[in-house]
Amino acid sequence: MAREYDHLFKLLIIGDSGVGKSSLLLRFSDNTFTGNYITTIGVDFKIRTVDIDGERVKLQIWDTAGQERFRTITSTYYRGTHGVIVVYDVSSGDTFANVKRWLHEIDQNCEVVNRILVGNKNDSLDRKVVLTEDAQRFADQMAIQLFETSAKENINVEEMFMAITRQVLRTKKERRERQAIQNSETVNLRKPNKSKKRFC
Amino acid sequence: MSSVDITNLVQWKVNPGDTVISCVNASLMQDWLRMTRYLAIVTNGCSAALFVLTSANVPPTSVQEINIERIFPFDLNFKCDLESEAKDDGPDRFVAITYQKLILLFELELGDKSNMFVSELYEATGKVSEERGNEFLEFGWLQKYNPSFRIEQSDEEIEEQDDIIDNPEIPINRESLAKGASLLAMREAAIKFHMSKKEAEYTNTQTFRVFVGTWNVNNHLPTVSLQDWLACDIDPPDIYAVGFQELDLSTVAYVVSDSPREEEWRFQVEQGLHQGAEYKKVALIRLIGMLLIVYVRKEHFNHVKKVHVDSVGTGILSKMGNKGGVSVRMEIHNTSICFVNSHLAAHVVECERRNQDYKDICRRTSFSGFSPPLAIRDHDHIYWLGDLNYRIIPGMDVDVVKDYLARKKFPPILEYDQLNHQKRKGNAFIDFKEGPIDFMPTYKYDVGTDNWDSSGKERAPAWCDRILWKGDSIRQLEYRSHQVYRISDHKPVSAVFLADIKKVDNAKWRKIHEEVMKQLDKLENEFLPQATVDTTEIKFNPVNFLELQTRSLTIANNGQVPIKFKFVKKPKDVNYCKDWLTIDPFTSDINPGETCTIRLEVLVDKKSAYKLNSGQDQLYDILVLHLVGGRDIFITVAGEYERSCFGTSLETLAHIPGPIKEVHAGRLSELERQLRDSSQGLEAVGSYPVPKEVWFLVDHLHRHGMKTNQLFIQSGLTSEIEAIRTWLDCWSLDPMPGSVYSVAEALVLLLESTAEPIIPYECYSKSLEVAHTYQMCKKIVQELPFHKKNVFIYLCLFLRELVSHSDDNKLDVNTLATLFGGIFLRDPPWHKKVSAGKYWVTNQQNTFIRRKATFVSHFLTTDDPTLCQIVSTSGQ
Repeated sequence: MAREYDHLFKLLIIGDSGVGKSSLLLRFSDNTFTGNYITTIGVDFKIRTVDIDGERVKLQIWDTAGQERFRTITSTYYRGTHGVIVVYDVSSGDTFANVKRWLHEIDQNCEVVNRILVGNKNDSLDRKVVLTEDAQRFADQMAIQLFETSAKENINVEEMFMAITRQVLRTKKERRERQAIQNSETVNLRKPNKSKKRFC
Repeated sequence: MSSVDITNLVQWKVNPGDTVISCVNASLMQDWLRMTRYLAIVTNGCSAALFVLTSANVPPTSVQEINIERIFPFDLNFKCDLESEAKDDGPDRFVAITYQKLILLFELELGDKSNMFVSELYEATGKVSEERGNEFLEFGWLQKYNPSFRIEQSDEEIEEQDDIIDNPEIPINRESLAKGASLLAMREAAIKFHMSKKEAEYTNTQTFRVFVGTWNVNNHLPTVSLQDWLACDIDPPDIYAVGFQELDLSTVAYVVSDSPREEEWRFQVEQGLHQGAEYKKVALIRLIGMLLIVYVRKEHFNHVKKVHVDSVGTGILSKMGNKGGVSVRMEIHNTSICFVNSHLAAHVVECERRNQDYKDICRRTSFSGFSPPLAIRDHDHIYWLGDLNYRIIPGMDVDVVKDYLARKKFPPILEYDQLNHQKRKGNAFIDFKEGPIDFMPTYKYDVGTDNWDSSGKERAPAWCDRILWKGDSIRQLEYRSHQVYRISDHKPVSAVFLADIKKVDNAKWRKIHEEVMKQLDKLENEFLPQATVDTTEIKFNPVNFLELQTRSLTIANNGQVPIKFKFVKKPKDVNYCKDWLTIDPFTSDINPGETCTIRLEVLVDKKSAYKLNSGQDQLYDILVLHLVGGRDIFITVAGEYERSCFGTSLETLAHIPGPIKEVHAGRLSELERQLRDSSQGLEAVGSYPVPKEVWFLVDHLHRHGMKTNQLFIQSGLTSEIEAIRTWLDCWSLDPMPGSVYSVAEALVLLLESTAEPIIPYECYSKSLEVAHTYQMCKKIVQELPFHKKNVFIYLCLFLRELVSHSDDNKLDVNTLATLFGGIFLRDPPWHKKVSAGKYWVTNQQNTFIRRKATFVSHFLTTDDPTLCQIVSTSGQ
């Protein structure tokens, strides 16, 4: 009856400095956008509760500093993360090129984790240099879902966060089911043993 | 503080003549915030009011701390509702106070105290409705209170109160958060409360046809079809509530709960339901002769929830079930409905008794499936049916009544109807509505006829059997009696209503629910600890050995809640900052709007210098400033370290021909690395036998300080030591600056700043073991690496000479041996960690100090001509 939430998930946003990690978070949590660029020096988080098929999911979303010099420190925040959002800037080829490194970073620091690839600042065709097809090909190759978003114009942000949340929820349920099956298997294994003994 | 004390304190607060009946601690919920309040019921004469009080301290310690925030008179505008929420650790109890458009939600602490308060509250408010009509309640006494708080008033202030609703920000005292008001984090009950306030936005209404029937069957068997009563309309109803009285008057019925009559009548009712639809039974409840059955159309059945029944006997001894009421409550879609079938006290003169029965049924009916249990009044729609037994006041003559009836002129008789009278007087059924009566009285007939009772009692016919209702959006279509039924001395009555049932629009509900959640999330985010710093990059000027530099960092709490910050260590680090840095304070609390300035001091001393010289460490660190329960901020600290002979190994110094400042930093760290990597130390070839810096200092002391009193014991001046450091690092044509005391201290510092002491850590234990035997000690020295051995012998010879001047300098072997024992045999860093704070360890340390002194004193006292021979000459 009284429940604050059914699930609590920790999400982490990573990616190069300046790709719009904080903007994505602010758009999702407060539905605001500010054009002023303030580098995140540290890690910050916001919460938001969403409803996924009638289940209440509380998200704690961590926004990390993207600067290179903080990388060793920020990697320590990967612990206990359920889902990672890797962000690049569609108007910067370098930030896309670095995605591989970020994905590697995830492998180094997390065990099993859901990932999603996000090309942010997808609001101006003139400045877009990372083509959707290229990004999609790369995403397929890495078996990771791709979203192109704009925190500024509020395009696809909600959808992207909901997608990663659904992924995380599905993973949790699958794991639970697997566990249930395993448990029943262990029980089944024992039973015949017992009966055998009886007959011997 | 006990409840008695609070009640007493509040009693002192109110005016003389006013009485505090009950006072409890409660939390006011406003926009997800929870603030401490006290609620008190205060009476004066017949009228009472609810006082909302605040206190400067919780709990209050004196009457001065208590302030009256609001006063709600218990008049017709006042309403209170209990809401409860079952939780794992027991139910939470919420009281919603409604006064016109103002709604305040209070959370009560669990316990007897609160239960008492709630019952007092109900009693006090219940009186209001009972008193209505009799007299106007007098609230003049409330005007005597200080007008700085608001007394809720009817009518005039409605506009102002609208403001409060439109702008919920007003009552929120955000500052109070800093003083400990806690965030009501996502309580389900509070969400429910917010959702119910917005109910109209996500519900649609669907009109239901409700058929309500009542019949006192006077102990007769169901020998007739009930279709003419229950199915006499064209449209089939959506809901049926059919009530009987005097179903079974057998004595057995009082003793045994089963009654075959029940089944017979139920069967007959089901036969008589409208043929135009299929019905399913929702509930059936019987108490002796009172039976109530509720049906809904099949298609609605899945939307009926939380069905509960209760029965209350008010008959003999106020307990027996020959009189009383049976009730069914349910929720259909989002509307709660309660049906009450009652049989009240009989006889013309028992009017008061009937009123009392009504009140008892209201008070005692309780649906226990809820916590706290629900009462009849807690429902959106209430239908009250039954043989209420109200008669025609004897003031109208029986013959006159019969005469009017013969002409079907009902209004003049209804003027004398007891129920209408009692209702007007406010004695019973106050808030209930009844449709106009346009049918013959239903009592009392001769059985089998439509004739008035012919027994000799000369009873006036009366409308005993009635149907009333309470609730918004209910319209009555029909209200009638069914004269064709002659098996009883009563005629059946029925009423048909159109009732608007609230239906949740799922899409809208989700949207509103999401909005409520979003609002909550926003608030939760707003109340996360927040802080800014004036800079995230702290740069120091070039840093010299032993030269203190200070920078400040200001942390501002720009959030809504008090914060606690602390610097936390990064993984793999031993401390939250490097050992050349100190942060003061490294943890503290800051209130909203306030700042805290912290000092960052960089000081490279004998412990940290060698790492910086050798390039093992840099003057660079990223500090993690953590807000407890919130974000982290990274602070970068950086500076350039000026390399110095202090903290440089003796070997490296011996290899550098000139001043250290002239050596490239890369070369320095390369030398140090070579030294670390080779087990034998640096090759002696091409180096000085002892480092020139050691020689400079010793030579200076030798020439100027041999006869100086207390040399090495008296400390030098920091500024002079800094000047000596510069002189040694850069060289100068000027004589060495500073007093001999400072020079002596600089020498000690130079020897103490190296990564390894002169007798390496690996020989430490062995040296202490053999300290008593000179030959063993000598052997250890002989096996030392080249430069260390040289410096050791060189310094010992110098100390021997110093002792020879003990008449002047007052130094003795023991003092010098103890001092230099600690330098030559420096405690390994891992030793110190173990030793912290235990008595026996301190004892052991004293033993160590004595042994070190013994070790050194051999070399200051033993006449050993071979001692000098072990000194290697330079490899030049």
